Amino acid sequence: MDLNQSMRLLSSWIAQIGGLGLDLLWRFIHLVVSLWYIVSGIIEAVESYAISLGLNKKYSSINIEKLRCLAVVVDIEEARDVSKVIELLQWLRTIGVKQVGLFDSQGLLKKSKDMILGTVPGSVLSEEIGEKNSSPDQNPLALEFISSSDNKEAVMKAANILLQDYLKSSRPENDKGENFFTETHLNEALRVVGENVHAPDLLLVYGPIRSHLGFPAWRLRYTEIVHMGSLNYMRYGSLLKAIHKFTGVHQNYGT
Amino acid sequence: MLSLRVPTPTSFRRLHAGRSRLSRDCLFSYSPSFVNRGVRLRVRSTKSEVVFTPTEEEEEVTLPEELQPELMPKHVAIIMDGNGRWAKNQGLQPWDGHRAGVEALKEIVELSGRWGIQVLTVFAFSTDNWIRPRIEIDFLFSLFERSLKSEFQNLAQNNVRISIIGDSSKLPKSLLRLINEGEEGTKNNKRLQLIVAVGYSGKYDVLQACRGIAQRVKDGEIDVDEIDEGLIEQELETNCTEFPYPDLLIRTSGELRVSNFLLWQLAYTELFFAQELWPDFGRSGYIEALMSFQQRQRRFGGRKS
Repeated sequence: MDLNQSMRLLSSWIAQIGGLGLDLLWRFIHLVVSLWYIVSGIIEAVESYAISLGLNKKYSSINIEKLRCLAVVVDIEEARDVSKVIELLQWLRTIGVKQVGLFDSQGLLKKSKDMILGTVPGSVLSEEIGEKNSSPDQNPLALEFISSSDNKEAVMKAANILLQDYLKSSRPENDKGENFFTETHLNEALRVVGENVHAPDLLLVYGPIRSHLGFPAWRLRYTEIVHMGSLNYMRYGSLLKAIHKFTGVHQNYGT
Repeated sequence: MLSLRVPTPTSFRRLHAGRSRLSRDCLFSYSPSFVNRGVRLRVRSTKSEVVFTPTEEEEEVTLPEELQPELMPKHVAIIMDGNGRWAKNQGLQPWDGHRAGVEALKEIVELSGRWGIQVLTVFAFSTDNWIRPRIEIDFLFSLFERSLKSEFQNLAQNNVRISIIGDSSKLPKSLLRLINEGEEGTKNNKRLQLIVAVGYSGKYDVLQACRGIAQRVKDGEIDVDEIDEGLIEQELETNCTEFPYPDLLIRTSGELRVSNFLLWQLAYTELFFAQELWPDFGRSGYIEALMSFQQRQRRFGGRKS
């Protein structure tokens, strides 16, 4: 066996050993990181249960008055399980939330509204809240059911109303409608088409999503957005923590 | 040169830093998917970037090895928040924060062009910012003018097209002149389109679109019955680009809201809220946001894409 051949053999062994070493190192790091995520997940779950049981005093008093309106975005796959949504609404009522908007892009929750209203004690439709004796409950949970049709479609209908009014009105040739197409006018037109324009203070997103999935943009101007993970693994403690965190937020509105 | 084919993880040091920096209740706590991505390592190479050989018409795209070229967003939007707080933390004046913010933007523009992002939209000045002290507003506009003047050559050389959106009616005339020159001078550039939102808000955009449609109806170009979503979208100011809908929105400074930015366009945009203040954001923060974007399950409503 000549020197050249033995050198080649040696270098291939070194390469194989090096490759094996790197592979083992990679697997070890992978294991460590996986364990880290498991441990941090357990810690999070324990913390959540501690909050649920009232062991963490920090979360026992929440300034719920600051949360005038809360919206919940549910991923379309998870919106099919209405029982989970009902459980979530019951938790929100326990916490003391008074106004909730429920959104899924295809309006599945809207279709199930009778079932939801019938199951969640003290819940009423938000548009009925002003009516007399709408709820015997002193602190009703006002629900609004929202879908994609309340988003761009609603803005389009409202824009149409404004356009019709603008074209009917006698205006000078050079008038470009600056004083006609204003936020106030559009809000009014949105009310006419049945879009209530309740701007939520806090938006909770449930599901494997990282966007607001078409929740009516017009309402999202200063909304705090929090991703809550899957509805199937929702925890009362996590919900309480998110709301508590929101109540401590200061908004400076551009200043 | 000896060349080994080995599975390489993403940078674990940064990954853990990212995990701890991002709030756990924040929209995007980190959840990496560890994929054995083979990257060819040259033993003597110190570069941590993978260079993709460009086709005839493409320019060279240099990507950090943590990022996958086929999963890069086409349009990234950024709310550059935290200049004032950064200055305060450093014991400086607000305008020092804005200066540092401009430097941070230069770096992000350069990286976006280099990494093959097609459109970068930045929220420079909101309609809500008009309530700030007059002295700060004047400084911001003079800084904007100076930056445009000094960077114009650079943008042109780097094949960057600049577009300005927003309500220009209150802007200084000298700035408007400069904006027109900048837009005109870079309109044929193809590498990256930089859209700067000045005096912009999402609500303003929808309202000006309505005004535009009203004018077209008045001029007899279109009929009232033809008005639909598509027509409103045509009239939005972001229609100045081939990709009007951002794939990824980054907001710095840990705030969890979209603050009246691109409201209509953000329906299916991935949202990433970074803890760093804008002047501190930089390359590593940008890589983190892009990695997070690439690792997420991308879905449009019920339709998995």
